[in-house]
Formats: sequence, structure tokens, C-alpha cells
Amino acid sequence: MAAPMELSCWGGDWGLPSLHPESLTVMAYAKFSGAPLTVNTINNSWRAPKGDLPVLVSEDIVISQPAKILNFLRKQKYNADYDLSAKQGADTLAYIALLEEKLLPALLHTFWVEAENYCSVTKPWFASRIAFPLRLYLPGKMSREALNRILLTKGGPPLYSLTEVEAQIYRDAKECLNLLSKRLGTSQFFFGDTPTTLDAFVFGFLAPIYKVCFPRVQLQEHLKQLPNLCRFCDDILTCYFRLTVSGHSPAGQDTADANLQKLTQLVNKESNLIEKMDDNLRKSPQHAPRKLTTLKLAAGGEESSPMSRLSP
Amino acid sequence: TLCFQAFLQMCNLPIRVICRANAEYMSPSGKVPFIHVGNQVVSELGPIVQFVKAKGHSLSDGLDEVQKAEMKAYMELVNNMLLTAELYLQWCDDVTVEEITHPRYGSPYPWPLNRILSYQKQWEVRRKMKAIGWAGKTLEQVLEDVDQCCHALSQRLGTQPYFFNKQPTELDALVFGHLFTILTTQLITDELSEKVKNYSNLTAFCRRIEQQYFEGHEKDCSTIAARSSKRSLLR
Repeated sequence: MAAPMELSCWGGDWGLPSLHPESLTVMAYAKFSGAPLTVNTINNSWRAPKGDLPVLVSEDIVISQPAKILNFLRKQKYNADYDLSAKQGADTLAYIALLEEKLLPALLHTFWVEAENYCSVTKPWFASRIAFPLRLYLPGKMSREALNRILLTKGGPPLYSLTEVEAQIYRDAKECLNLLSKRLGTSQFFFGDTPTTLDAFVFGFLAPIYKVCFPRVQLQEHLKQLPNLCRFCDDILTCYFRLTVSGHSPAGQDTADANLQKLTQLVNKESNLIEKMDDNLRKSPQHAPRKLTTLKLAAGGEESSPMSRLSP
Repeated sequence: TLCFQAFLQMCNLPIRVICRANAEYMSPSGKVPFIHVGNQVVSELGPIVQFVKAKGHSLSDGLDEVQKAEMKAYMELVNNMLLTAELYLQWCDDVTVEEITHPRYGSPYPWPLNRILSYQKQWEVRRKMKAIGWAGKTLEQVLEDVDQCCHALSQRLGTQPYFFNKQPTELDALVFGHLFTILTTQLITDELSEKVKNYSNLTAFCRRIEQQYFEGHEKDCSTIAARSSKRSLLR
């Protein structure tokens, strides 16, 4: 349990800690179960992403798919499903299968295959996060893989053209969103009040659709008509990721904590200083007024500047 | 095939099963089986269910919205795990492919057509496995996934007669079809059927549906003789 664990994944934008559904699922699960992960986002360094992300590295073990990563975390006793009954565990598996079969093709399509979305948003975003010259090749490869996957799993006859396949997968995705909305109902998470694996997976798939600004957004518009799912995503983002406006999550949280510590130290120092001044004041009354005002102003000035540095 | 027969039996609709070599080509979606009613041809479970519903028979009317969502989710789980595992075992496990699948798939055709067609199908299936990430899985991992799926189904079934209490639904038909096939098909190793046999409520479920809906129905197809030998495996 004490072994440090490092997660490499794609970074985030538009208010999300990550744009990649699988990376987002793993990050959400880690937050829910309290696992101490150091998150490294890929950002234009020479440590190029080889193979699939997200990747968890713990001592010498390297694990790459989300399901395997979650299994590993559970074995390390970071289990978010502790309170679930056996039937609820079975339901989890079933709903995850539903997400992968019905929602994932449309998600892949929106990100990687839809020409306008891909050229104006996805490709430049990913290319800016990958080092040259891999950035010329990798987004294209990811796009081809996505199209391949959609066509091989959904594109058999009687759907003969890409437009028919597209129509079918979006229909399936909208039906899936409706089913999830019915299942969630009015509760905060899918199984009561604590989030579980299923919540991590649903969040990982829904949040990119919900937040990323694409030119062609039929799935996002459909999602916005299901207010309980939108509320679900927003709740997780505010409670577990505590994002500031700029959207840098774990780093933001750490700097906020560090700033808070510094501020506390500063305030303590100032209050000690004020006490000393107070004592001097009692001993030398004629010099008091001038010193007191300048000291007060100085103390007030120093105190207010770290506060203004913190406010968003 | 069995899930369709089970489903239609559950709806109390009389059917006749016919085996044809060119069945894949007769079907509108290239997938067997399909049903031929009057002058309409419908294939695949989803459209068949809708077709039957339009004619006024439906098994899942008694379910509320949340239960319908659950049913769809479980059907996807079965398709995702069991169906893919069956395909994997048939087409990606070299031993099984050589000894069982190639001869069986190519049997209606003369040489060399039988080899060509079966290699083509194998290539297609392997491509699909690669696209969904199953190509890197070993046989043990596939069996583990099947085990997990059966565990989930067993938990959901519990001690009830059917998945959604007293009435059978499409999910029951689908699960029955897959499990019965796994339990009764002769393969090189029995590991897959052993995994299913570990869950006694699932085997009891299959037996119950078989007795209720299939016994006493004579069909004019060559699988009758095969089925009677397979049935002894189930006992």
C-alpha cells in the first residue's frame, strides 16, 4: 500500500481533468476510493506515449487497460465497491457492457471520425500535447483505429454506408443515455450515496460529451436534455475534482493547500509581531500613534496580498 | 439459434426450423438465423423482437422503466462477453480452429471452397477481435471473463425461476441460448462448460427452460439426433 503509484494519461481542458474517457474513468475511481495516485499528464515532452493510455506504474509493474488498473487498485485495498451487494456488482458489469456497446461508438465518432470535430478540435488539441514528429502521425492513427472499431463492430449489413452506420450508432447512444437517466433517477449516485466503479465509468464516458465544445454536438444537446445526468457530472467535478476556472485539477488543489499553509504562517507571524508592538506601545506612549498606523498598514498590506493571489 | 427458438416458444408462436447451407446469404443482414413470415424476412434478435412486438406479442410489457434498462444492460453484457468469448474460442484458438471449426464451417462445400471460406471468416473474426482489444487476450483471460459474466448472471438470477421474477423475458431466451450451446457443444477441452457448470442455478435454469419449452416439440431438422446426444451431456 505504501508503494507510490503513478498514472500517465492525457490532460484536460474545458473544465475537465482529462479529455480521454478511459483516463477520466481511472482518475475518478482513484478519487472515489482514496487511492494516492500521482497523475502525470502528457504534455509535449519527449517521453512520448507509447501504446495505450492510461498507464499505471507502481514499482516495476506496468498496467495499461482501465479494467486491469481498477482491479490492481482493488487488490491494493482501494475498493470503492465495498458496500455493494453481489447483485449490485452484477448490475455494474452489465451497465459497463451497455456503455461500451452503445455509447462508446458514438463517443469515438464525435471525437475522432466526425470531420469537422476532428479537424477543428480533436487533432489540434492532441497534436499540441504530443512531441514533434510523433504529433504528425499519432492523431491520425487514433482516428483510423476509432473508425475501424466502429465499422467492424457496428458496420455489418444491412447498414452498408457510413451515414447509415452513423445514424444507427447515434440512435443507440441516445437510447443508452435515456436508459442511464432512468436508472439514475433522482439519487445522487447510481448505488445510493457513495460513488462506485459504475459511477466512475459513467462519469468517464459522459463528462467529455458534456463539456468539450465541438462544432457538431448532437450528442451533447441530447445529454443536456437529461438534467439528472448533467447534475451527476457537475457534482462529481465539484466534489471530487474541485476544479478552479483554469481547469488544472490536482495541481490546483496542491497549490491551494500550499498557499493556505503559507497564509496561516504569515498570519501567525504577523500576529506575533503585533503582540510585540503592543508591548512596546505600552512602554513608550509618545511614539505610539505614528508607529501604530504604519505598522497596521504594513501588516494589513502583507496580509491582503496573499489573499488576492489566491482568489480566482 | 436457440435463443430465437426459445424466445418464439415463450411467446407461444409456432415455428418450423429449417437448415440450409446458404442461410447466411438468404438473410437480409448476412447473419443467421432469421425468420421468414409470409413475405417478410427479419433477422437478428433485436429486429425480431420488435417485429413480434408489432404483431402484438411481447414478453417485457410487465417491466417498469428501470427494469427494462436493466434487461437491456444484461443483454449487452451477454452479447459483449459470452458471444465474443464463443467467437474467440471458435476462431482464434488454434487447436479448436483446426480440429472443429474449419471442418464444420466448410462442410457443405467442396474442396477448395470450404478452406477458402473458412479462412476468410477466420480473418474477419480476427480483425474484429483486434479492433475491440481481445486479440491480445490469452485463453485463460477469456475463460476468466466468461467466469465473471456467469458469476454476474448467477448473482442476478439468485433463486428466482427467471431473471425478472415469474415471467420469462427476452433476456431469459438469450441467456438460455448461449448457455445451452456452451454446455452441450463438444470442444477439445471442457473448460468453458466447466465454468458454467460451477453455477448450479444457471444449469438448473437451462434445464427448466428446456423442459418447459422444448420437450415434445418435434422439428424436421438434422439437429434432432445431435440434440439427443447433447442432452445426455446436460444430465
